[in-house]
Amino acid sequence: MACVLLGQQHLCWSDVNVSQSFCCCLSRQHTRYHSCVFVEVSMAHITLNQYLQQVLEAIESRDGSFCAEMLSFKHPHVANPRLQLSSPEEKCQQLLEPPYDEMVAAHLRCTFAVSNHDFMEAYKCQTVVVQSFLKAFQAHKEENWALPIMFAVTLDLRIFANNAEQQLQSKGKGKVGDMLEKAAEQLMSCFRVCASDNRAGIDDSKKWGMLFLINQLFKIYFKINKLHLCKPLIRAIDSSNLKDEYSTAQRVTYKYYVGRKAMFDSDFKQAEEYLSFSFTHCHRSSQRNKRLILIYLLPVKMLLGHMPTPQLLQKYDLMQFTDVTKAVGEGNLLLLNEALVKHETFFIRCGIFLILEKLKIITFRNLFKKVYHLLKTHQLPLDAFLVALKMMKVEDVDIDEVQCILANLIYMGHIKGYISHQHQKLVVSKQNPFPPLSSIS
Amino acid sequence: MCKLQSIINTLPLSDMTYNCMKPGDQSELSLWLWTRPMNKTAMSIGWHQSRRGRGHRHKEQGRANRERVVEQKAEDPVPHGTCMTMCPAYEIRQREAQNRLHRFEVVAGTERERLPPADVSRAVKEYSRPAAGKDSTRASDLRPPSVLLKTVCYLVDDIAASSTFQPWTEVYSFVFDRLRSVRQDMIIQRVSGPDCVAVLEKSVRFLLYASYRLCGQQLQYFDPRINDTHLQECLSWLLESYRDGKHQHQDEFQALSLLYNLGSSQAIQHVLELPERIRSSPAVQLALAVSRAHMERNPVRLLRLAQRLDFIQVCAVHRYLLPCRRDLLLLYSHGHSSRNCRYPLQRLARLLFLKDALAAELCQVCGVNVTEEWVNFSKSSFTDASSGDLQCRCMHEPLDDEQWNCSAGCVIHGCV
Repeated sequence: MACVLLGQQHLCWSDVNVSQSFCCCLSRQHTRYHSCVFVEVSMAHITLNQYLQQVLEAIESRDGSFCAEMLSFKHPHVANPRLQLSSPEEKCQQLLEPPYDEMVAAHLRCTFAVSNHDFMEAYKCQTVVVQSFLKAFQAHKEENWALPIMFAVTLDLRIFANNAEQQLQSKGKGKVGDMLEKAAEQLMSCFRVCASDNRAGIDDSKKWGMLFLINQLFKIYFKINKLHLCKPLIRAIDSSNLKDEYSTAQRVTYKYYVGRKAMFDSDFKQAEEYLSFSFTHCHRSSQRNKRLILIYLLPVKMLLGHMPTPQLLQKYDLMQFTDVTKAVGEGNLLLLNEALVKHETFFIRCGIFLILEKLKIITFRNLFKKVYHLLKTHQLPLDAFLVALKMMKVEDVDIDEVQCILANLIYMGHIKGYISHQHQKLVVSKQNPFPPLSSIS
Repeated sequence: MCKLQSIINTLPLSDMTYNCMKPGDQSELSLWLWTRPMNKTAMSIGWHQSRRGRGHRHKEQGRANRERVVEQKAEDPVPHGTCMTMCPAYEIRQREAQNRLHRFEVVAGTERERLPPADVSRAVKEYSRPAAGKDSTRASDLRPPSVLLKTVCYLVDDIAASSTFQPWTEVYSFVFDRLRSVRQDMIIQRVSGPDCVAVLEKSVRFLLYASYRLCGQQLQYFDPRINDTHLQECLSWLLESYRDGKHQHQDEFQALSLLYNLGSSQAIQHVLELPERIRSSPAVQLALAVSRAHMERNPVRLLRLAQRLDFIQVCAVHRYLLPCRRDLLLLYSHGHSSRNCRYPLQRLARLLFLKDALAAELCQVCGVNVTEEWVNFSKSSFTDASSGDLQCRCMHEPLDDEQWNCSAGCVIHGCV
C-alpha cells in the first residue's frame, strides 16, 4: 500500500525508520509495527556477509523497496560498525555483479565516512553510488523496479552535498553552491534516463521517477539561487501525461516550488493557484510544511486583497504577519513600515521581503479609499491625500509625489478617475471608483 | 576526469619519478590543472576554451607523464608569474617584428614608420585567446599581482585619463583589451585578496565610466552589450571576493552593483542579505532608496534621488533613466488623462530634470501632446515605440573632451 506522504510503496517494517514523517499505514497495521521494531533492532547488528546476502537477494528478486532501504541513510544499518568499512571492495566483488559491487562498496565506504563525520568524503562516495546505480538503471530495459533505490540514493546525495558545503563553510573554504551544483548535474543525468524512457508501458516506465527528481532539483536550485534552471523542468512536467497521476505528496512539493517561482516572476495569480493547491492538499499532520507553504501564500493573497484572519496566523505561528495584515487593511503606512523593519530578518531570510514591499501600493490605495469615504465627494482635493499621508508620518512626500502615486494607482486600475493639475483635484468616477482588489489582475 | 584521478590516486610515488621532474614540465602542469575543480565565477570564456586544447594532449600522454604529474600535485601546481614588466619580453619582440604593436606602445614619434620600434615602458601584454598547443601558463609570460596592479594604474593614468590620445573610442578599445589580459593573468594564477580586489575595482570603474562616456556611439566603436558582459563578470567576481575579509570600498561597489542592476530582485536580495555594517552605509542606503523607488514605480522619486548620486553612480544607473522618464509620461498619460485639462510644461520638465526643450521633445516622441507651455495628457495618445532618434545620450550632462579627460583619472581611481 502506498504511503500518503512519501508516495512510495514500501514494506511496513521500513516505516519505523521514517522518523519524522507520519505514515498512515503504521496506524492501521498495529501488529506489524511490533515486528518492525524487532526487525529494526536486528538490522543494527548483522554481519557484512548477511548484509551483502540480503542486498543480493533483493536485487535478484527485483525488490526495489527493500534494496532501497539497504542503501538508504534513513535505515539503521548505517549505524552498524560491522558495515562501516573503508575498503569493502573485495567482499562486494565476491558476492555481487558489477555495477552493484561498486555501488554497494561505495555505500559502505560512505557509512564509514559518515561515522567519522567526514561529509566531503561521504559526498564523494555517494557520487560513486549514484553513478554506478545509474549504470545498472540504464541497463534495466522496460522495468522500473529500481525506482525506490534511485529515490533513496539521490536524496542522500543532496543531503551530503549540503552537509559537505556546511563543513567547508565552517572551515572558511569552498564556495557556496559548488557542491550542490555538482549534485544537481548528477540528478540531471538520472532525470534524463527517466525522461527518455519511451519504450516501456506505463506501469513499467521510468517516467514515474521524474517528479521526485524534479523536486530534488528544485530544492537545490532554490538554495543556490538559480531559479532560471527550473524552467526546462517545469516544461517537461507540463508536457507529460503523467503530471496529475503522481502521488499527492510529490505534487504538493512540486506545486510549492512552482508557486514560489511564479512569485519570483511576479505572476501572482498563478502563484496563488499553485500555492493554494499545495496548502489544501498538504497532509494535515505536516504542520511544518503547511506553515512553510503559508509563508509564501500569505503575501500573494494579500496582494490580491485577501487578508488572513488572526486565527489562521495564530494556528500556524506566523505572528510576524499580524502587524503587516493590520497595516495594509487600515491603510496605515506607518505601521506597515514599522512591521517590515521589525521582522526584517525573518522576511529577508524567507525571501518575501520584496513582495511585502509591494503591499505598499495596496496600503496607499486603502488609505486613499478612506479619504474618499470621509470626504464624501467625487472631486477630492490633492491636499487631502497629502494631509492623510502626513498623519501617517510619511514626511518626505510632497504634492508631486502624491500625484505620481495616484497616477500609478489609476494606471493599475485601482482607482477610476483622473487628476486635474490645474484644479489640484482627483476626480473619481461616480460608480465604483475603488474597484475590489481581487478584480484587478 | 574521474578515471584520471583514480589512476593518479593509486600510483606509487617513487624517488625516481621525483628526480625526473624538469623545469620545462609546465605542460604537464596545465594538464593537471585541467582535472582540478575550478572556481567557476573566476572563469573567463578564454579559460574554458583552454580545456579543449588540453584534452588532445591528454590522450597522447603516457603513463610516465602522469606519474610526473602526481609529483607536481604534491607541490604547488598554481603558476606564479615572474614577468616584472607590463609586457613579456618575447611578446614585445614578436609583435614588433610582425608590426602588431598598438600606436600607444611604440616610441613616441615613430607611429608612421614602416616598422615602428617598441617602447618597453609603454608596451602592455595583449589579450589572446588560449588555443590548442598554446601554453598560457609559462611563468615568464605571467605578471605577478603587484605588476598587474601597476599595469592597471598605468592604463588608467597614462592612457584613459590622458588628453593626448584621441579619439577616446580608440583609447577605450586599447584599455579594454589590456584590462582583459590583466584579468586573464589573474585567473591563471588564481589571484585573490587585496591586489585582485584593487584590479577589479578599477576595471569596474573604467567600464562604468566608458558605458556613460561612449553611450550612443556607433556599434563598431563601442558595443554596449560586450561592455555589459565584461562589467557583469567583473562585478560578480568582485562581489565574490568581498566575501572574505574586510575591504575598504566594499559599500561603494555593493551600491554600484545594485544601481547597475536596477530592478533585479536577485541583486536587491543580495544587498538585503549583506551584513548590517555595509547595508547601513550611506552609499548602499541611497542605492536601496533608488531601487525601492524603481520597484514601487515612482519615477518622480527616482529622478529626485538620482540627483544625489555621484558621478560614477550616475554612470552605473544612467541607462535606466530614459526608460524611467518615459514611464513617468506613461503613468501621467493615464493618471491625468482628460481632454480639458492641461499640465504646465515647465513643471513637467522640472520633474523630468530636463531642459524645457528636451522635455518637449521627449513628449513628442512618446505621443504626448505638447503646445508651447502646456502638455495635454491622454492615455490613448501615448505610444510605447522606441525613442528612435531621441537617445539616452541627449540627456547626459554636456561635457567637452577636456572636461571628460580631467575627470577620467579621478573617477576611475575612485578619489573623491
